[in-house]
Amino acid sequence: MPPQLRLNAVAFVSPQNHPILIRTFVQGQDELKYHYIAHTSLDVIDERITAAIASKSTECYLNLLYTMEDVAVYGYMTPLKVKIIIALALTDAVVRDADVLTIFRALHTAYRQSVANPFLRLNAPIDGYNDHAILLAAGSPKWKAFRKRVDDIGKAVGVVAVSA
Amino acid sequence: MNSYPPEFLVQLAPVMYVAGLNVQPPQATATDAPPTPSGQQATKQDPFTVLSLRLRDALAVQRKVSIWQPEKAKTFQTVFVEKDVSFPPRKAVRPEDPHSNAAHSPLSPLTPTSPLYPDGIIAPIWIRKHTTLLPSVFVMFMRIYESPVQSGQDDREREAEEKRRDTELSAEIAHRKKSTSERGIKLTVVLMASRRMLDDPTLDGRLTYIRRQSGLDPRAALFVLSPVSQAEIGDFVRSLQDALWEPALEYYTNHSKRVRRKRNRHSQASSYQLPLSPMASAGIARPLRPEGWTVRYEFKMACFAEFRGEDQVALKHYQDAYAALLIMFGSTAILPPRTKRWAEAKVLADCINVKIVKLYLYNNEHSLALSHQNSHMRKFADFSRGWGIGEETFEFWSWLARQHRVFAELLEQGTRSTLKIPSPYPPQAPSPAMLAAQSLEASQMGLEAMRVLGLNPNQALQHPGFYYYMAARCTERRRERFLGALESEGHQTNSPGFANEKKVDHLAIVLELYTRSYEIFRKWGTQTAQSPGRLTLWIAYRIAQTYYESGKFDMAVRFFERIAKTYRRESWGSLLHPLLSQWYACAQQLGDVELSVKLLIEMLGHGTKASEDDPDALQDDLLAVLKSTVPSATDEPLVVDLSEAKPILDASVVFWDPEVDVGTQAPFQLILSSQPNVSLSSIPFTSLAVHFSSDVPPVIIKHSQKDPDAEIPGIQRIDLGEVVVAPAPVESTEVEGPLRWGPSSSIIFTGSVSSSLPTQLSISKVVLTIKENSWWIEIPIIPAPAKSENALIAPRWLCSIEPPRFIPIRREDHSAVKVRWRSHQVQVAISHDGPALIGEEFPIEIRIANDDDRELDVVLDVLLQPTEIDEAVNYVAIDDQRSTSLLKAVACGILAPGASVVKKLYLTNAGAPGERVIDISVQSQSTSQPPTPVSPVSPTSATVPTLVDRTETLRTLSVAAVSPIGIEHAVVYRRTTRPQPGLADLATFESGTRDEGAAVEAVVTSTISIVAPSGIAIESIVLNRKKHAFAEIMDCSVDQDDFNGEWLAGDALCDKCRITVVPDERRPAEPIAGPGEYEVVWRRLLPDGSQGSRSTTHLPLPSLSPPSDGLVALLDAPTTARLHTPIPLRLTVRNRHPSRTATATVQLEPDPTADGFVIAGLRHGRIPILLPGQEETVTWNLIPVECGLVKVPRVKVLDRRNAVQVAGAQIVAAPPGQPGAAEAQAEGEEVEIVDVRCDGRPERVQDEDGNEVRVVKEHDGFVLVLP
Repeated sequence: MPPQLRLNAVAFVSPQNHPILIRTFVQGQDELKYHYIAHTSLDVIDERITAAIASKSTECYLNLLYTMEDVAVYGYMTPLKVKIIIALALTDAVVRDADVLTIFRALHTAYRQSVANPFLRLNAPIDGYNDHAILLAAGSPKWKAFRKRVDDIGKAVGVVAVSA
Repeated sequence: MNSYPPEFLVQLAPVMYVAGLNVQPPQATATDAPPTPSGQQATKQDPFTVLSLRLRDALAVQRKVSIWQPEKAKTFQTVFVEKDVSFPPRKAVRPEDPHSNAAHSPLSPLTPTSPLYPDGIIAPIWIRKHTTLLPSVFVMFMRIYESPVQSGQDDREREAEEKRRDTELSAEIAHRKKSTSERGIKLTVVLMASRRMLDDPTLDGRLTYIRRQSGLDPRAALFVLSPVSQAEIGDFVRSLQDALWEPALEYYTNHSKRVRRKRNRHSQASSYQLPLSPMASAGIARPLRPEGWTVRYEFKMACFAEFRGEDQVALKHYQDAYAALLIMFGSTAILPPRTKRWAEAKVLADCINVKIVKLYLYNNEHSLALSHQNSHMRKFADFSRGWGIGEETFEFWSWLARQHRVFAELLEQGTRSTLKIPSPYPPQAPSPAMLAAQSLEASQMGLEAMRVLGLNPNQALQHPGFYYYMAARCTERRRERFLGALESEGHQTNSPGFANEKKVDHLAIVLELYTRSYEIFRKWGTQTAQSPGRLTLWIAYRIAQTYYESGKFDMAVRFFERIAKTYRRESWGSLLHPLLSQWYACAQQLGDVELSVKLLIEMLGHGTKASEDDPDALQDDLLAVLKSTVPSATDEPLVVDLSEAKPILDASVVFWDPEVDVGTQAPFQLILSSQPNVSLSSIPFTSLAVHFSSDVPPVIIKHSQKDPDAEIPGIQRIDLGEVVVAPAPVESTEVEGPLRWGPSSSIIFTGSVSSSLPTQLSISKVVLTIKENSWWIEIPIIPAPAKSENALIAPRWLCSIEPPRFIPIRREDHSAVKVRWRSHQVQVAISHDGPALIGEEFPIEIRIANDDDRELDVVLDVLLQPTEIDEAVNYVAIDDQRSTSLLKAVACGILAPGASVVKKLYLTNAGAPGERVIDISVQSQSTSQPPTPVSPVSPTSATVPTLVDRTETLRTLSVAAVSPIGIEHAVVYRRTTRPQPGLADLATFESGTRDEGAAVEAVVTSTISIVAPSGIAIESIVLNRKKHAFAEIMDCSVDQDDFNGEWLAGDALCDKCRITVVPDERRPAEPIAGPGEYEVVWRRLLPDGSQGSRSTTHLPLPSLSPPSDGLVALLDAPTTARLHTPIPLRLTVRNRHPSRTATATVQLEPDPTADGFVIAGLRHGRIPILLPGQEETVTWNLIPVECGLVKVPRVKVLDRRNAVQVAGAQIVAAPPGQPGAAEAQAEGEEVEIVDVRCDGRPERVQDEDGNEVRVVKEHDGFVLVLP
């Protein structure tokens, strides 16, 4: 039985490197820290993307980005270049890539479902609005479903033992 | 790393003592040497001095003392000593127990004078002993005596002298040899001799003598060296080291063996040594425990293995030592905390940890190294809690920071030479070769297996920057704990540790660590010039914070400035807010009021620190600054440019229309709205200037408010009136209105703008001005088309203020309006009498009327669109221009208002019927001169091309083209009755002779009908004959008649035409092109009764494909006969089969019921075999005996060629009761009999399988018998 993964924070970052949504699941910790972690991860992600392009890889999963203090930061990039960054609590155990990928896929699905919300475009101009704005809007406090989905995933990761 | 004894950390290597290379000070030689006559002699150095110096240099650079040195080259650590250097004593006899057989080294815990007495484990001095005081090999450089050449001594004297000197030398060596061999140290002597000496024949003998006398080893113990070049010295040093490597290893191996023996003896003895210890009773100090001895011995063995370069063995022993140390730490009885020995042991444990990690890293076992480092920190953190120096103490964090720092330093040293930091991301290698290797590896391992594996993030080695960062973080915590402890100093005993801690400048350490981390992050990052890496920015932020903490605000401000740029650009508000707050705090501390004001305004824009409860907090700060301070310069405004950051007010501009005509008002609205949670209600905005993109003076809105205490409504409206863009400069307009914003409130400035010239109008910027005391602040805001945050909300147009109601403007270009010329009123009317007939010049009338009040120059373009219709070659023509596609710039002249012009366009069509599409473009240009811009100072006004007042009117016309005349053909073929040419007729073989035998007569019936709806007047119909090899028109009916006249739609004419066709023998299946065409010359009947232009239509005859024949019988009888006058009945059996012969029988079967003829001739007979192309004629004489339509006797021709087979098959198959049927069939295949009088076959018809279908119609021939 592998030890449970603990999800400390999740960040969604737009292709233009603007934050979409950052959620932390740790009580009493400095939330700002995870903002910094998400932001700094972009550096490593950029590096990985360059490497991926050079090797013509189409892999979404960017593996461990770095470890810092008490968290291990993992990255994932959707085909449409939205970056998902998660911070797992650092334990001295092997974290299986498959488990991390499962979390990422769930988060990706949550994101996709949320962006598909047609009401995000309710007040949009007919032409001239960009998808980028929609991505950002999905994470704005006005729309709760995305937060809720992400929070559910966060809870599930904590509760459900990751399949052996 | 500096906090640990360097002896415990450095990479150990075999030690070589080098003696005899001490160069005399030059003065000494100068005074000793007799003054030589030549001055140059003195300056020229003795070659042996040079040699010594070079040797010293060469030996010294062999190995540098460093911590990271994984190379396994056979190099020694060289120590230069005097020749008579003495070694430290081996064993000291205990004074109080002189008879004890166990004498111990002076460093042993058992020796009372030792610093380790009685219970120390091991001290750095022990390693120092082995690195500096005891060599593994001893190399002595000596001069061999060389008798001077010029001296006049005789040989014997010289030999004696040499002998004496050699003996002295040998004695010196032997003395040295004695002390070295006691210790098992290899002694090597290098004799330095001049080059001349090397060639001396006596040298060998002398060397042998010296070796014997001094007792040197036979191998690798005596070298001779003459002064040589630098490169050769290198070679010599290398070979010397190679030769001495083995003895050095042996030396350390012997040490290891000795220590192992002692350890084994000790571990056996340990069970009873403890009670027997003589010190136990003393009670003051207890001797070293057996665990301690284990640590000591293991550590020694590890060191000796390290000396030998056996990393794996060293690692093993270090691990054992470390494990034993852990056991010792586990019990406070063995190692009481906070004692001297405990502190020493802790240092030792840390150092052993570094050694173990280093050895792992040498071997590229990154995760093992990191895991050991982590477990070390974890275990000792656990211990620390037990020792009362847990996480709440600064000691703990100090120690943890040191661990991180040592690790980072180790990595840094490693990465500088051989260590590579691995990346957890596989596609890291860009080189294709590496990729190929990786993919191979991946395929061998199986991708799935790799995926399942994953990795322990705790064991992923990263670059040292991360560990420096950790060290800095730990030091920050250390400072926190220290400050906490300082507060509660009252009950804190002034322990030496705490006193020491007071002296530490924590922030300087933090700063140093962060700076090193920053540098490493920069080195490892992939940042470019315009974007420094985000990781480095983060660390820069921490550096800035540390500067702030340590009161260096100016440094902090410099950092903040740089960091803010990236955070603004990437709009990470969450990161920017704390930064701005801290920056502002710095500015306050520095007393930089301008910066404070700028930052406060930016913070107002971001809503930093804003909360719903206290929206006034920020503006109160700003007001306080404005009221209490004075700017550095009062005569010019302080411009707060927020173009990079978020503006203080969101500005958006909406124009109602995308385009307006020149001179027409374009209504617009400018919405300035404040952030939620930020109130700007008391900020003294004095005016707002609205700048337009064109050269219009800005509109100034002055603040005026009747009731200053009135609540600010959520939406206010200020009317700006009309703004005119005119070449002449106009006074700037001024409007008054309240310029106060509450939280998330908007002021909407409405107005309209007009221009007398075509141009693009927009609002380029608005400038807010604050004037308070001596402050004069200007805040320019550029109305952004769409800020990314609210791009999803379409711009809105206020349509009612009470209640506020908006209309969304869902246009992209809402922020600007285009002013254009009024379009010309040009009417284009097109008329024609469609459909057009193919082949005619179809007139289309274009009427252009100027309904405008201006005089217009009109030009016409006509484009005929290409069609996809086959063979359609169409063209259009106007006046004398004619083109298949485009008629360009047909001038229509200048049209006065109200005038019109008519142009006739002719469309000529060919090919198949269908639609023809014509684009007609009428361009009108005003002849009156456009008002040229009088003000030369308007480069921003409209661009030059739009100044031309031109309008284009487009029409698209689709004309159906139909063919005026339709034609249908019907063809039948008849066989000729002419006799076939004989088989051997030589004339048939001549070239150009047609095969008359195969000739067929084709009768073409053509029905020409008029399709044109308007009707046409036909002038002539002629069948034009064409020469054709296989077909020839014999006659036709149109030749005789005249068809001139008006024909209406549906009228039709039928023409019959006979054509002789001789199928091509070589290609019988190929259709033969029609040998002629009808030419119809016609004119269109116009609605007014007149006739159009003359047109010609060609209607070709159809292509012919005459059917082929096999064996055929042609029956020819006259159509009429006179009673009792004999008539001939002729039957021609013709074999048209190309290859087969025909065997036929003829049978006349008179009708028994109606016997109208008396028949004379063959009743039943066989025709001779017919070769292909041959024919045979059988003739009967018939005498009619009845009047009326009498049926000709029935003739039956049977082809017997296949009869045999058919008969055989039938006999077997036929049932026995019906022999007649079988018999009838057995006679043969019935041949078609054609009555030549009514012969007519359609064209070849093919059934589904491609076989020719023969329609055989049974028809009886009749002869009209007249009386």
